[in-house]
Amino acid sequence: MNDRETRYSTWIIVLALVSMAAVVAIAWGEVAGQRLVAGGAVGVILLAYSFILLFLRKGGFTGV
Amino acid sequence: MYSRLLARLLDWTLRLDVAINRVYPEDFNPLYYTGGLANLFLTVLVLSGIFLFLYYIPSFDDAYRSVQFITVDVPYGQIIRGIHRYAADGFMIAVLLHFFRNWFTDRFRFSRDEPWISGMMLLLFAGFLGVTGYVLVWDERGQLLVAMTGRTLGAVPWFGAWLQTQWQGSAGISNLLLPRMLYLHVGPAVMLYILLWWHYVRIRHPKVWPPAVWTLFSLGLIFLLTGLVPATSQPAARPETVPTTLAVDWLFLLPYVGLKVLSPLALIALAVVITVYGLYIPYQLPETPAALGLRDSGIAQVVDANCTGCELCYYDCPYNAIVMVPSPHPGVTKAAQARKLFAIVLESRCVECGICIGACPFEALELPRFLERDVQEKVVQACRS
Repeated sequence: MNDRETRYSTWIIVLALVSMAAVVAIAWGEVAGQRLVAGGAVGVILLAYSFILLFLRKGGFTGV
Repeated sequence: MYSRLLARLLDWTLRLDVAINRVYPEDFNPLYYTGGLANLFLTVLVLSGIFLFLYYIPSFDDAYRSVQFITVDVPYGQIIRGIHRYAADGFMIAVLLHFFRNWFTDRFRFSRDEPWISGMMLLLFAGFLGVTGYVLVWDERGQLLVAMTGRTLGAVPWFGAWLQTQWQGSAGISNLLLPRMLYLHVGPAVMLYILLWWHYVRIRHPKVWPPAVWTLFSLGLIFLLTGLVPATSQPAARPETVPTTLAVDWLFLLPYVGLKVLSPLALIALAVVITVYGLYIPYQLPETPAALGLRDSGIAQVVDANCTGCELCYYDCPYNAIVMVPSPHPGVTKAAQARKLFAIVLESRCVECGICIGACPFEALELPRFLERDVQEKVVQACRS
Protein backbone atom coordinates (compact mmCIF):
# COMPACT_ATOMS: atom_id res chain seq x y z
CA MET A 1 0.00 0.00 0.00
CA ASN A 2 1.27 3.47 -0.79
CA ASP A 3 0.82 6.50 1.47
CA ARG A 4 -2.40 7.61 -0.16
CA GLU A 5 -4.02 4.19 0.14
CA THR A 6 -2.94 3.90 3.77
CA ARG A 7 -4.34 7.32 4.62
CA TYR A 8 -7.73 6.67 3.05
CA SER A 9 -7.88 3.12 4.42
CA THR A 10 -7.50 4.53 7.92
CA TRP A 11 -10.36 6.94 7.34
CA ILE A 12 -12.53 4.17 5.92
CA ILE A 13 -11.93 2.03 9.00
CA VAL A 14 -12.76 4.96 11.28
CA LEU A 15 -16.00 5.60 9.39
CA ALA A 16 -16.91 1.91 9.50
CA LEU A 17 -16.48 2.02 13.29
CA VAL A 18 -18.62 5.17 13.47
CA SER A 19 -21.29 3.33 11.45
CA MET A 20 -21.20 0.43 13.89
CA ALA A 21 -21.62 2.84 16.80
CA ALA A 22 -24.59 4.37 14.96
CA VAL A 23 -26.15 0.90 14.60
CA VAL A 24 -25.87 0.49 18.37
CA ALA A 25 -27.48 3.94 18.75
CA ILE A 26 -30.38 2.85 16.53
CA ALA A 27 -30.94 -0.26 18.62
CA TRP A 28 -30.76 1.77 21.83
CA GLY A 29 -33.11 4.39 20.42
CA GLU A 30 -35.70 1.74 19.58
CA VAL A 31 -35.43 0.03 22.98
CA ALA A 32 -35.51 3.31 24.92
CA GLY A 33 -38.26 4.86 22.79
CA GLN A 34 -35.85 7.60 21.62
CA ARG A 35 -36.77 7.42 17.96
CA LEU A 36 -35.26 10.79 17.13
CA VAL A 37 -31.91 9.43 18.26
CA ALA A 38 -32.50 6.38 16.07
CA GLY A 39 -33.40 8.64 13.11
CA GLY A 40 -30.32 10.77 13.64
CA ALA A 41 -28.19 7.64 13.84
CA VAL A 42 -29.59 6.46 10.49
CA GLY A 43 -28.38 9.80 9.16
CA VAL A 44 -24.92 9.24 10.63
CA ILE A 45 -24.71 5.83 8.94
CA LEU A 46 -25.74 7.23 5.56
CA LEU A 47 -23.28 10.11 5.86
CA ALA A 48 -20.50 7.72 6.87
CA TYR A 49 -21.29 5.48 3.90
CA SER A 50 -21.19 8.46 1.54
CA PHE A 51 -17.70 9.37 2.77
CA ILE A 52 -16.61 5.73 2.63
CA LEU A 53 -17.61 5.67 -1.04
CA LEU A 54 -15.74 8.92 -1.61
CA PHE A 55 -12.60 7.70 0.14
CA LEU A 56 -12.72 4.35 -1.69
CA ARG A 57 -12.59 6.38 -4.88
CA LYS A 58 -9.98 8.87 -3.73
CA GLY A 59 -7.83 6.11 -2.35
CA GLY A 60 -7.85 4.44 -5.74
CA PHE A 61 -9.66 1.31 -4.53
CA THR A 62 -12.61 1.79 -6.93
CA GLY A 63 -13.33 3.66 -10.15
CA VAL A 64 -10.91 5.17 -12.59
CA MET B 1 -22.79 45.46 -19.44
CA TYR B 2 -25.10 42.49 -18.89
CA SER B 3 -22.90 40.36 -21.17
CA ARG B 4 -19.79 41.39 -19.20
CA LEU B 5 -21.53 40.53 -15.92
CA LEU B 6 -22.54 37.12 -17.30
CA ALA B 7 -18.97 36.50 -18.49
CA ARG B 8 -17.64 37.30 -15.02
CA LEU B 9 -20.24 35.08 -13.35
CA LEU B 10 -19.32 32.29 -15.76
CA ASP B 11 -15.67 32.73 -14.83
CA TRP B 12 -16.47 32.51 -11.10
CA THR B 13 -18.68 29.45 -11.65
CA LEU B 14 -15.94 27.65 -13.55
CA ARG B 15 -13.36 28.59 -10.90
CA LEU B 16 -15.70 27.11 -8.28
CA ASP B 17 -15.96 23.95 -10.40
CA VAL B 18 -12.18 23.69 -10.55
CA ALA B 19 -11.86 24.23 -6.80
CA ILE B 20 -14.46 21.52 -6.05
CA ASN B 21 -12.83 19.15 -8.52
CA ARG B 22 -9.63 19.39 -6.50
CA VAL B 23 -11.48 17.90 -3.52
CA TYR B 24 -13.89 15.53 -5.24
CA PRO B 25 -13.35 13.34 -8.31
CA GLU B 26 -14.83 15.18 -11.29
CA ASP B 27 -17.80 12.87 -11.69
CA PHE B 28 -18.68 13.45 -8.01
CA ASN B 29 -18.81 17.25 -8.27
CA PRO B 30 -22.20 18.09 -6.69
CA LEU B 31 -22.66 21.16 -8.90
CA TYR B 32 -22.91 18.84 -11.90
CA TYR B 33 -25.89 17.10 -10.28
CA THR B 34 -28.03 19.92 -8.91
CA GLY B 35 -30.94 18.81 -11.10
CA GLY B 36 -30.53 15.19 -10.01
CA LEU B 37 -30.35 16.27 -6.36
CA ALA B 38 -33.57 18.27 -6.77
CA ASN B 39 -35.22 15.18 -8.25
CA LEU B 40 -33.97 13.06 -5.33
CA PHE B 41 -35.39 15.50 -2.78
CA LEU B 42 -38.68 15.66 -4.71
CA THR B 43 -38.97 11.88 -4.58
CA VAL B 44 -38.34 11.94 -0.81
CA LEU B 45 -40.96 14.69 -0.50
CA VAL B 46 -43.57 12.67 -2.38
CA LEU B 47 -42.96 9.47 -0.39
CA SER B 48 -42.95 11.21 3.00
CA GLY B 49 -45.91 13.36 1.88
CA ILE B 50 -47.99 10.25 1.14
CA PHE B 51 -47.29 9.02 4.69
CA LEU B 52 -48.33 12.37 6.21
CA PHE B 53 -51.41 12.55 3.95
CA LEU B 54 -52.73 9.31 5.44
CA TYR B 55 -53.00 10.89 8.91
CA TYR B 56 -53.76 14.54 8.11
CA ILE B 57 -57.29 15.88 8.70
CA PRO B 58 -57.99 19.13 6.77
CA SER B 59 -60.40 20.91 9.10
CA PHE B 60 -60.04 23.85 11.49
CA ASP B 61 -60.73 21.72 14.53
CA ASP B 62 -58.58 18.75 13.65
CA ALA B 63 -55.71 19.91 11.41
CA TYR B 64 -53.36 21.04 14.18
CA ARG B 65 -54.34 18.09 16.35
CA SER B 66 -53.68 15.62 13.51
CA VAL B 67 -50.23 17.12 12.92
CA GLN B 68 -49.49 16.80 16.64
CA PHE B 69 -50.82 13.22 16.53
CA ILE B 70 -48.40 12.44 13.66
CA THR B 71 -45.55 14.04 15.59
CA VAL B 72 -46.16 12.47 18.99
CA ASP B 73 -48.21 9.29 18.61
CA VAL B 74 -47.60 7.81 15.16
CA PRO B 75 -44.55 5.50 15.18
CA TYR B 76 -41.72 7.30 13.35
CA GLY B 77 -44.20 10.11 12.61
CA GLN B 78 -41.89 12.85 13.88
CA ILE B 79 -39.02 11.46 11.81
CA ILE B 80 -41.13 11.34 8.65
CA ARG B 81 -42.40 14.86 9.31
CA GLY B 82 -38.81 16.05 9.76
CA ILE B 83 -37.77 14.27 6.57
CA HIS B 84 -40.59 16.04 4.69
CA ARG B 85 -39.55 19.37 6.19
CA TYR B 86 -35.83 19.12 5.46
CA ALA B 87 -36.28 17.48 2.05
CA ALA B 88 -38.33 20.57 1.11
CA ASP B 89 -35.40 22.80 2.11
CA GLY B 90 -33.00 20.55 0.20
CA PHE B 91 -35.25 20.64 -2.86
CA MET B 92 -35.38 24.43 -2.85
CA ILE B 93 -31.62 24.79 -2.35
CA ALA B 94 -30.90 22.30 -5.17
CA VAL B 95 -33.37 24.03 -7.50
CA LEU B 96 -31.88 27.46 -6.79
CA LEU B 97 -28.33 26.15 -7.34
CA HIS B 98 -29.51 24.53 -10.57
CA PHE B 99 -31.14 27.80 -11.65
CA PHE B 100 -28.12 30.02 -10.97
CA ARG B 101 -25.60 27.56 -12.36
CA ASN B 102 -27.49 27.23 -15.64
CA TRP B 103 -27.97 30.97 -15.80
CA PHE B 104 -24.30 31.75 -15.20
CA THR B 105 -23.11 29.10 -17.65
CA ASP B 106 -25.39 30.25 -20.48
CA ARG B 107 -27.36 27.02 -20.56
CA PHE B 108 -30.57 28.61 -21.68
CA ARG B 109 -29.82 29.38 -25.31
CA PHE B 110 -30.89 27.73 -28.54
CA SER B 111 -32.84 24.56 -27.82
CA ARG B 112 -32.44 24.99 -24.10
CA ASP B 113 -35.08 27.68 -23.80
CA GLU B 114 -37.79 25.10 -23.09
CA PRO B 115 -35.95 23.48 -20.16
CA TRP B 116 -35.37 27.01 -18.86
CA ILE B 117 -39.04 28.02 -19.09
CA SER B 118 -40.22 24.76 -17.53
CA GLY B 119 -37.53 25.15 -14.86
CA MET B 120 -38.78 28.63 -13.98
CA MET B 121 -42.28 27.24 -13.62
CA LEU B 122 -40.96 24.42 -11.43
CA LEU B 123 -39.32 27.02 -9.20
CA LEU B 124 -42.56 29.00 -8.89
CA PHE B 125 -44.61 25.89 -8.15
CA ALA B 126 -42.04 24.77 -5.56
CA GLY B 127 -42.27 28.10 -3.75
CA PHE B 128 -46.07 27.95 -3.78
CA LEU B 129 -46.01 24.38 -2.44
CA GLY B 130 -43.84 25.51 0.45
CA VAL B 131 -46.36 28.18 1.44
CA THR B 132 -49.37 25.84 1.27
CA GLY B 133 -47.38 23.25 3.23
CA TYR B 134 -46.86 25.73 6.06
CA VAL B 135 -50.57 26.65 6.04
CA LEU B 136 -51.60 22.99 6.37
CA VAL B 137 -50.00 22.76 9.84
CA TRP B 138 -52.58 25.37 10.85
CA ASP B 139 -50.54 26.94 13.59
CA GLU B 140 -50.04 30.67 14.12
CA ARG B 141 -47.66 30.86 11.15
CA GLY B 142 -50.16 29.13 8.87
CA GLN B 143 -52.92 31.44 10.01
CA LEU B 144 -50.77 34.52 9.41
CA LEU B 145 -49.72 33.26 5.97
CA VAL B 146 -53.37 32.88 4.95
CA ALA B 147 -54.11 36.42 6.11
CA MET B 148 -51.03 37.96 4.46
CA THR B 149 -51.51 36.09 1.18
CA GLY B 150 -55.22 36.96 1.09
CA ARG B 151 -54.48 40.63 1.73
CA THR B 152 -51.78 40.68 -0.94
CA LEU B 153 -53.94 38.98 -3.55
CA GLY B 154 -56.81 41.30 -2.64
CA ALA B 155 -54.64 44.28 -3.63
CA VAL B 156 -54.50 43.18 -7.27
CA PRO B 157 -56.47 45.70 -9.34
CA TRP B 158 -59.87 44.64 -10.77
CA PHE B 159 -59.91 40.97 -9.85
CA GLY B 160 -58.19 41.05 -6.44
CA ALA B 161 -61.36 40.11 -4.57
CA TRP B 162 -61.85 37.14 -6.89
CA LEU B 163 -58.26 35.96 -6.32
CA GLN B 164 -58.67 36.32 -2.56
CA THR B 165 -61.82 34.20 -2.69
CA GLN B 166 -60.05 31.56 -4.77
CA TRP B 167 -57.24 31.44 -2.23
CA GLN B 168 -59.45 31.17 0.84
CA GLY B 169 -62.36 29.23 -0.64
CA SER B 170 -64.85 31.94 0.44
CA ALA B 171 -65.03 35.68 1.10
CA GLY B 172 -63.85 35.21 4.69
CA ILE B 173 -62.01 32.42 6.47
CA SER B 174 -64.24 29.33 6.45
CA ASN B 175 -63.99 25.58 6.88
CA LEU B 176 -63.35 25.32 3.14
CA LEU B 177 -59.87 26.78 3.61
CA LEU B 178 -57.86 23.75 4.68
CA PRO B 179 -59.34 21.23 2.20
CA ARG B 180 -58.52 23.83 -0.46
CA MET B 181 -54.98 24.21 0.90
CA LEU B 182 -54.55 20.44 0.87
CA TYR B 183 -55.64 20.40 -2.76
CA LEU B 184 -53.34 23.34 -3.55
CA HIS B 185 -50.49 21.42 -1.90
CA VAL B 186 -51.06 18.04 -3.54
CA GLY B 187 -52.34 19.25 -6.94
CA PRO B 188 -49.30 21.37 -7.83
CA ALA B 189 -47.08 18.53 -6.58
CA VAL B 190 -48.58 16.40 -9.36
CA MET B 191 -48.10 19.33 -11.71
CA LEU B 192 -44.41 19.32 -10.82
CA TYR B 193 -44.04 15.94 -12.51
CA ILE B 194 -45.77 17.18 -15.67
CA LEU B 195 -43.37 20.13 -15.73
CA LEU B 196 -40.48 17.75 -15.08
CA TRP B 197 -41.48 15.73 -18.15
CA TRP B 198 -41.41 18.95 -20.16
CA HIS B 199 -38.09 19.83 -18.52
CA TYR B 200 -36.50 16.54 -19.60
CA VAL B 201 -38.19 15.92 -22.95
CA ARG B 202 -35.69 17.90 -25.00
CA ILE B 203 -32.63 16.48 -23.25
CA ARG B 204 -31.25 13.18 -24.46
CA HIS B 205 -29.24 12.17 -21.38
CA PRO B 206 -30.53 14.12 -18.39
CA LYS B 207 -28.74 13.41 -15.11
CA VAL B 208 -31.94 12.41 -13.33
CA TRP B 209 -30.22 11.07 -10.20
CA PRO B 210 -27.08 12.15 -8.39
CA PRO B 211 -24.24 9.65 -7.89
CA ALA B 212 -24.46 7.28 -4.90
CA VAL B 213 -22.09 9.44 -2.84
CA TRP B 214 -24.44 12.41 -2.99
CA THR B 215 -27.60 10.34 -2.66
CA LEU B 216 -26.29 8.86 0.59
CA PHE B 217 -24.99 12.23 1.77
CA SER B 218 -28.28 14.03 1.09
CA LEU B 219 -30.43 11.36 2.71
CA GLY B 220 -28.02 11.15 5.63
CA LEU B 221 -28.10 14.90 6.17
CA ILE B 222 -31.92 14.88 6.14
CA PHE B 223 -32.06 12.10 8.74
CA LEU B 224 -29.38 13.73 10.89
CA LEU B 225 -31.12 17.12 10.87
CA THR B 226 -34.41 15.39 11.67
CA GLY B 227 -32.79 13.88 14.75
CA LEU B 228 -30.90 16.99 15.85
CA VAL B 229 -33.49 19.71 15.08
CA PRO B 230 -36.92 18.04 14.98
CA ALA B 231 -39.68 19.73 12.99
CA THR B 232 -42.12 21.39 15.36
CA SER B 233 -45.30 23.46 15.15
CA GLN B 234 -45.94 26.88 16.55
CA PRO B 235 -48.92 27.41 18.91
CA ALA B 236 -52.24 26.42 17.35
CA ALA B 237 -54.09 28.97 15.24
CA ARG B 238 -56.84 30.90 17.01
CA PRO B 239 -59.50 32.25 14.67
CA GLU B 240 -60.41 35.10 17.02
CA THR B 241 -56.92 36.67 16.91
CA VAL B 242 -54.53 36.95 13.98
CA PRO B 243 -50.87 36.78 15.11
CA THR B 244 -48.66 39.71 14.18
CA THR B 245 -45.19 38.17 14.01
CA LEU B 246 -44.22 35.79 11.22
CA ALA B 247 -41.65 33.08 11.91
CA VAL B 248 -39.74 33.37 8.65
CA ASP B 249 -38.43 30.46 6.64
CA TRP B 250 -35.95 32.27 4.41
CA LEU B 251 -36.17 29.70 1.62
CA PHE B 252 -39.94 29.68 1.19
CA LEU B 253 -41.31 32.75 2.90
CA LEU B 254 -38.86 35.42 1.80
CA PRO B 255 -41.49 37.35 -0.25
CA TYR B 256 -43.55 37.82 2.91
CA VAL B 257 -40.64 39.69 4.51
CA GLY B 258 -40.99 42.14 1.63
CA LEU B 259 -44.41 43.13 2.99
CA LYS B 260 -42.60 44.94 5.81
CA VAL B 261 -41.26 47.52 3.40
CA LEU B 262 -43.54 47.20 0.37
CA SER B 263 -47.25 47.60 -0.07
CA PRO B 264 -49.07 44.42 -1.18
CA LEU B 265 -49.57 45.88 -4.66
CA ALA B 266 -45.89 46.81 -4.95
CA LEU B 267 -44.91 43.28 -3.86
CA ILE B 268 -47.22 41.76 -6.49
CA ALA B 269 -45.77 44.09 -9.14
CA LEU B 270 -42.20 43.16 -8.10
CA ALA B 271 -43.03 39.44 -8.22
CA VAL B 272 -44.55 39.82 -11.69
CA VAL B 273 -41.52 41.78 -12.95
CA ILE B 274 -39.05 39.18 -11.57
CA THR B 275 -41.08 36.29 -13.03
CA VAL B 276 -41.46 37.89 -16.45
CA TYR B 277 -37.77 38.77 -16.52
CA GLY B 278 -36.89 35.19 -15.54
CA LEU B 279 -38.95 33.87 -18.44
CA TYR B 280 -37.35 36.43 -20.77
CA ILE B 281 -33.74 35.51 -19.89
CA PRO B 282 -33.29 32.99 -22.77
CA TYR B 283 -34.27 35.66 -25.28
CA GLN B 284 -32.45 38.62 -23.77
CA LEU B 285 -29.14 38.22 -25.55
CA PRO B 286 -28.81 38.09 -29.34
CA GLU B 287 -28.70 34.54 -30.63
CA THR B 288 -27.25 34.92 -34.09
CA PRO B 289 -24.09 32.86 -34.46
CA ALA B 290 -22.14 35.99 -35.42
CA ALA B 291 -23.27 37.84 -32.31
CA LEU B 292 -22.31 34.85 -30.22
CA GLY B 293 -18.95 34.57 -31.89
CA LEU B 294 -19.75 31.02 -33.00
CA ARG B 295 -18.94 29.37 -36.28
CA ASP B 296 -21.95 29.33 -38.60
CA SER B 297 -21.87 25.63 -39.35
CA GLY B 298 -25.36 25.12 -40.76
CA ILE B 299 -27.90 22.48 -39.78
CA ALA B 300 -26.37 18.98 -39.72
CA GLN B 301 -27.15 17.00 -42.85
CA VAL B 302 -27.34 13.25 -43.35
CA VAL B 303 -25.34 11.80 -46.25
CA ASP B 304 -27.91 9.38 -47.62
CA ALA B 305 -25.36 7.13 -49.34
CA ASN B 306 -23.34 6.51 -46.15
CA CYS B 307 -25.99 6.23 -43.40
CA THR B 308 -26.16 2.65 -42.03
CA GLY B 309 -29.03 3.30 -39.59
CA CYS B 310 -26.78 2.36 -36.66
CA GLU B 311 -28.48 4.94 -34.36
CA LEU B 312 -25.22 6.17 -32.79
CA CYS B 313 -26.00 9.78 -33.73
CA TYR B 314 -29.55 9.33 -32.45
CA TYR B 315 -28.27 8.28 -29.02
CA ASP B 316 -25.50 10.88 -28.85
CA CYS B 317 -27.45 13.99 -29.85
CA PRO B 318 -28.10 15.86 -26.57
CA TYR B 319 -30.93 17.88 -28.10
CA ASN B 320 -33.11 15.05 -29.43
CA ALA B 321 -32.58 16.57 -32.88
CA ILE B 322 -32.11 13.25 -34.68
CA VAL B 323 -34.87 10.69 -35.21
CA MET B 324 -34.62 7.29 -36.89
CA VAL B 325 -37.20 6.37 -39.53
CA PRO B 326 -37.63 3.22 -41.66
CA SER B 327 -35.20 3.45 -44.53
CA PRO B 328 -36.97 4.26 -47.83
CA HIS B 329 -34.16 2.66 -49.86
CA PRO B 330 -30.75 1.03 -49.34
CA GLY B 331 -27.63 3.15 -49.00
CA VAL B 332 -24.76 3.15 -51.45
CA THR B 333 -21.76 2.04 -49.40
CA LYS B 334 -21.42 -1.61 -48.51
CA ALA B 335 -22.20 -0.97 -44.85
CA ALA B 336 -25.27 1.10 -45.74
CA GLN B 337 -26.82 -1.32 -48.20
CA ALA B 338 -28.43 -3.53 -45.54
CA ARG B 339 -29.77 -0.67 -43.41
CA LYS B 340 -33.25 -0.89 -41.95
CA LEU B 341 -33.32 2.62 -40.48
CA PHE B 342 -32.32 6.04 -41.68
CA ALA B 343 -31.36 9.14 -39.65
CA ILE B 344 -33.24 12.41 -40.09
CA VAL B 345 -32.20 15.73 -38.54
CA LEU B 346 -34.97 17.91 -37.11
CA GLU B 347 -33.96 21.42 -38.17
CA SER B 348 -35.84 23.15 -35.38
CA ARG B 349 -33.84 21.26 -32.76
CA CYS B 350 -30.36 21.16 -34.31
CA VAL B 351 -27.95 23.63 -32.71
CA GLU B 352 -25.13 22.92 -35.19
CA CYS B 353 -22.87 21.60 -32.43
CA GLY B 354 -21.35 18.79 -34.53
CA ILE B 355 -21.62 16.09 -31.84
CA CYS B 356 -23.38 13.80 -34.34
CA ILE B 357 -20.42 14.16 -36.71
CA GLY B 358 -18.15 12.78 -34.02
CA ALA B 359 -20.63 10.04 -33.18
CA CYS B 360 -20.87 8.71 -36.74
CA PRO B 361 -18.14 6.23 -37.75
CA PHE B 362 -19.43 6.09 -41.36
CA GLU B 363 -19.04 9.76 -42.35
CA ALA B 364 -22.76 9.91 -42.86
CA LEU B 365 -23.29 13.32 -41.27
CA GLU B 366 -21.80 16.69 -42.04
CA LEU B 367 -22.18 20.35 -41.17
CA PRO B 368 -22.59 21.98 -44.59
CA ARG B 369 -20.50 25.06 -43.80
CA PHE B 370 -17.96 23.31 -41.62
CA LEU B 371 -16.86 20.20 -43.49
CA GLU B 372 -14.38 17.62 -42.26
CA ARG B 373 -11.67 18.97 -44.53
CA ASP B 374 -12.17 22.42 -42.97
CA VAL B 375 -11.62 20.89 -39.54
CA GLN B 376 -8.52 19.07 -40.77
CA GLU B 377 -7.13 22.30 -42.25
CA LYS B 378 -7.71 24.12 -38.98
CA VAL B 379 -6.02 21.34 -37.03
CA VAL B 380 -3.03 21.37 -39.37
CA GLN B 381 -2.80 25.17 -39.14
CA ALA B 382 -3.04 25.03 -35.37
CA CYS B 383 -0.31 22.40 -35.23
CA ARG B 384 1.97 24.45 -37.47
CA SER B 385 1.46 27.64 -35.50
